[in-house]
Amino acid sequence: MRTSTPSFSSLIKTPLATIIILLAISLVLLFLPSNISNHIRMTCVAPIRPLQWATCFCSNSASNFFDKIISTWQDAQVKKQLEQQVSQFKNKIIEQQDTIYKLQNKLQALSKFQAENKSIKTNVIPADIIGYDASNFRKSITINAGSKHGVKPNDIVVSNNALVGKVATVSGRSSVIQLITDPASRIPGRILQTREQVIVEGNATGFCHLKYVPRWAKLKKGDEIVSSDIGGFYPPSLPIATVIENEITGGALFQTVKVLPKVDISKIESVLIITN
Amino acid sequence: MRWLTFFCILLCISIFQSALINWINIGTSVPDLYFPLVVFYSFLTDFKRNTIANWFAGLSKDLFSEGHFGLNSVFFVAAGFLLWSIRGILYRGHLVTQVIITFIFSVMYNILYAAHTTISFHSLNFSTTLWMIFISSLYTAMMVPVLFWIFSKFQPTQKFFSNQ
Repeated sequence: MRTSTPSFSSLIKTPLATIIILLAISLVLLFLPSNISNHIRMTCVAPIRPLQWATCFCSNSASNFFDKIISTWQDAQVKKQLEQQVSQFKNKIIEQQDTIYKLQNKLQALSKFQAENKSIKTNVIPADIIGYDASNFRKSITINAGSKHGVKPNDIVVSNNALVGKVATVSGRSSVIQLITDPASRIPGRILQTREQVIVEGNATGFCHLKYVPRWAKLKKGDEIVSSDIGGFYPPSLPIATVIENEITGGALFQTVKVLPKVDISKIESVLIITN
Repeated sequence: MRWLTFFCILLCISIFQSALINWINIGTSVPDLYFPLVVFYSFLTDFKRNTIANWFAGLSKDLFSEGHFGLNSVFFVAAGFLLWSIRGILYRGHLVTQVIITFIFSVMYNILYAAHTTISFHSLNFSTTLWMIFISSLYTAMMVPVLFWIFSKFQPTQKFFSNQ
């Protein structure tokens, strides 16, 4: 009796083979070295980045426009007396001003940072936020500056002179920033008032936790956490977070400390990247 | 099932989830717009198409989030397979079933993902994470009526309510 072996084309048509092939691809992707998988990720997403940037830009512009409308509405009693033509011109001016304010804020932040960090030989690159992490349990942002602008992996990202995170992945024109609230983020820090060394650890919420704070450390609400130059990775004295809650439980060696990051990522539109 | 429509929906979800998240989040709670798509296709299509659609949905989520590349595609394929296996015993045409199933499976998926994150980084707080899973899954489930209506408009099929 003659038996025939199934051909590859007929094999991939069976549902079980499909699931096995797809899971095998997923497993290969999972176990790839991070630099290769990051490269694949950035290459695949690169064509979508302009669309992402445009959507984010429109959303920010709309948000700013609504803010302006709200503030305009608050002064409504005075403005009701103005003619319709004048209000139309004002709306146009608001649109123009929005762009100017954005650029002014960016310039102001840049000059302020450079004035305060004259001694450090660093280059600062301004960038706009164009995307956020799609997962609930990871915290990262995408910015519109990449290796073509001089951004490198592990560069430090700040906003209003406070630490935002570090560059995780870089492509030609965009980069992914790992925020300090990401569960994988560990930052060497120091409590400003008591000079205790700590590790600032993200936990995928809007807050961070301090690790290795000795139970005898005298912490209080409002104490500031700044970056420490131990390890040589982060510049020293960069504000990171403020203590909002601390607790000493039972016989634990270390305190449980909850801190609020200085930068609220949902309220900023641009960041500065410090390149060495 | 039209694949071009599927990829267009997936692109829109990816853009919406990654760029407009500040418009739809409530505090730390963010809806997972990919998950209703997984449920929709698991209810709608045959085993093979369901697996491929869920794999692409997971891969798309992987592309737009930090972490291990390929993890969401495995989770989504598994969730889709489980849903596909039990869909015969469900009254899947009813909105309440769709909302409840999305909530239950979203909780399961989030627990798995949180467990993986905890094993990898040891930095998630148990009570906060549980609360986040509950709120996010609830929010995702609440988005189901709107999302299913949009999906069925773009991907109409007569087979949707049949028990095949």
